[in-house]
Amino acid sequence: MEPLKIVVTGPVGAGKSTLIRTLSETEVVDTDALTSENIGKETTTVAMDYGTLHLGDQLLYLFGTPGQDRFDFMWDVLSDGALGLLMLIRGDKPEDFVAARKQLDYITSRHPVPYVMGVTRQDRPPVWGPEEVAPFFGLPLQRVVGINATDPQSAATPLIRLLELMLEDQRAV
Amino acid sequence: MAIFGNLNHMSLSDLLPFLSSQQGALEIFNLERHPGVTMYFNEGMLTCLYLGNKEADALLARSIVGEILGARKGAFEFLPQARPRRCSQLLNMRVDRLLVSVTTTQDEFAQVREQLPHPKTVFKIAGQTAPQDSRISDFWQKARSHLQAGASSEQLAGDLGMPLDHVRFYLHRLRQLRAVEPVRARPKTVPASGSAASRLLGALKRRFFGTNKEKVWSH
Repeated sequence: MEPLKIVVTGPVGAGKSTLIRTLSETEVVDTDALTSENIGKETTTVAMDYGTLHLGDQLLYLFGTPGQDRFDFMWDVLSDGALGLLMLIRGDKPEDFVAARKQLDYITSRHPVPYVMGVTRQDRPPVWGPEEVAPFFGLPLQRVVGINATDPQSAATPLIRLLELMLEDQRAV
Repeated sequence: MAIFGNLNHMSLSDLLPFLSSQQGALEIFNLERHPGVTMYFNEGMLTCLYLGNKEADALLARSIVGEILGARKGAFEFLPQARPRRCSQLLNMRVDRLLVSVTTTQDEFAQVREQLPHPKTVFKIAGQTAPQDSRISDFWQKARSHLQAGASSEQLAGDLGMPLDHVRFYLHRLRQLRAVEPVRARPKTVPASGSAASRLLGALKRRFFGTNKEKVWSH
């Protein structure tokens, strides 16, 4: 059975690497480098994160994209042929929302990939919730879920929502 | 008597007010981003603008004037009494109003530069309401047929012969007015069949929740 690919994307520090580490059953391969500019953390992903998850006999590859704009060519490379896209944003960092919207619009307008947005840090109020985030991004509320990327059940929630929405879409065809 | 110089020493916003009251042509050359530009003036009006050999319509003329306003490289020469060889559609734009309009657009552009969409993001029409602002409605009229099928800033810039950043700016404004929205590409083929998605969903819930029913995660 061919492995399927899930792409986790979003701005720097949104929790992409954390979510993949939380969900992956194998040690995550990352390509972190020391940051050369002040982005609020010491290392950042420069190519991709990679983890795996077996669901029954189906292998899922979990790919995390780099957050910086200058690696936008990786968004295309990783999104091509993906089963789904998880877009993560930090709910307590609204200054990143415009960049995140740009990234989401870019990928979803170019790649026919089902998507869900995860709003991280829901355990650390004050934080924007899905009800506030959805209208800002112009998304249906059902495509936005609040999560804590360090909690396995919570981290699995956007993936569950993604599959549920795919099923709904398939039933509607 | 001759009027000539360099945009590095005298900007277009300094030149236009005093040249526009005269009749003649302002030729601008050695620009970084354009072939030569020729502007024809008569009685305080910009009557015609050529970009190389191409005659500009009102939308393109505003874009070109906007770009040259910010240009610091380029030489100019004014040719008194020169008239356009041909001008199929007179612009007849009052220069003082044009300057205010273009400067306002430039200021707005600078404010939203970081918010402008990626050049490759595809937009489509979201509503039929025509924008009231003439600066945007001109663009809307020209771009609407392209946006019916979906188009990116990059494609529109090529098709309409406009600067890419100006197209990004107009699409940003049209999006704010809910006249356009980004395309959400629908899957052409479903990577996993219905039964496969259902199977994955069941396995995912069992793995993380120990049941086929998802518990509601609360913080």
